[in-house]
Amino acid sequence: MNGKRENRVEKIVSDLLRGRRLKLRGGDAEEKAAITTAARLAGVRQGPQRMQPAFRKRLARALEQPQGEGWVTRRAALVAGLGLAAGAAAGGFASRAFEPQPVHASDPIRPSNGRWIDVAAMGDLVEGQGKRVTAGGVGAFLFRHGDEVTAVSSICSHLPCELWWDGGRSHLVCPCHPATFAADGHPSDPYRHSALNKVYVRVVGDRVEVLGTA
Amino acid sequence: MTQDEVADQAQAEVVELPAASRATDIAVNELELVYAFIYARVGNRADAEDLTQQVALKAIPRLRQNAAASSIRGYLFATARSVLGGFWSTRLGLSEAELREDLLPAPATDPPSEEGTETVQRILAELSDNYRRVLELRFLHGYSLKEVAKEMNSTVGAIKVMQLRALRAAAKVRPE
Repeated sequence: MNGKRENRVEKIVSDLLRGRRLKLRGGDAEEKAAITTAARLAGVRQGPQRMQPAFRKRLARALEQPQGEGWVTRRAALVAGLGLAAGAAAGGFASRAFEPQPVHASDPIRPSNGRWIDVAAMGDLVEGQGKRVTAGGVGAFLFRHGDEVTAVSSICSHLPCELWWDGGRSHLVCPCHPATFAADGHPSDPYRHSALNKVYVRVVGDRVEVLGTA
Repeated sequence: MTQDEVADQAQAEVVELPAASRATDIAVNELELVYAFIYARVGNRADAEDLTQQVALKAIPRLRQNAAASSIRGYLFATARSVLGGFWSTRLGLSEAELREDLLPAPATDPPSEEGTETVQRILAELSDNYRRVLELRFLHGYSLKEVAKEMNSTVGAIKVMQLRALRAAAKVRPE
């Protein structure tokens, strides 16, 4: 734990008492007993808790839909919502045929009016290491496999947080909760989150292009 | 038996749900209890919602029609213990043995009981006066560090150290 332990534990306590999420670092394990006790004390501060109506509705909606398709994460809901907003802004059609389709995690990202954007040179990519790039509004991690390149979204499939590449463990890590993903986008933890959205990528000469937005 | 074994054992017994709409009602009501159970252990809404959703993701697809609500509850809580174990294990490297005390209490009741509050009161009662006071003021009364320091005629720095020591001491208390 960096710095004085009492300062670090106080930061965690302070966050908990403000109702914030537990944001822990590797070094915090040294004070794990104190931290779990603090969480427990914070948990009883306001007595037994009930789900917020919005969360309860979200769960109920998901339970009423067929399994496999019904579980729309906050992130997918956000993306779908943006799709709706974009459709409306474009002067949208009322016809069902033109209604935006639900966006599922692990689907490839096809931006409306997307275009290929040069994001890196092949020489920039190291075999076995992820490289974060942006193509307009699309964030992606590139992975080189010999002469080929694959890409997955840099946004977690569960919470809308930016992933980071843990080179030591060779996986993508979500900073917001304990979720990790392999280079192919599939979850590498036991939580059965959806796979990451794939991102279209191509190699042109010695350059790498991603299908992004202007 | 480890937490995973408990969950696996529960998963081995396929639970059946009543008709679809009622199944949803029962599952959401039971998840309400799971949420209270998880919240009492992680102490914040965001993590409690995430973990409750994970429990639903893992457990609901395995539930089938015509099961008693008590069976559903048992299965959901077994899954909740497994998910909580994974949460602390990933974030702090806690072993299942270290989590045993935290995860074994009986499932919550409907409406959510004061079980957690009573447990904490019993833990606080075992502490020295100063340690109990600093934790009561900070966690139960919501005092800031500065306010606690003023109340206890001390400095913010000293209270910070006392708070850490009090939390360590509280962690060692095993409620009956």
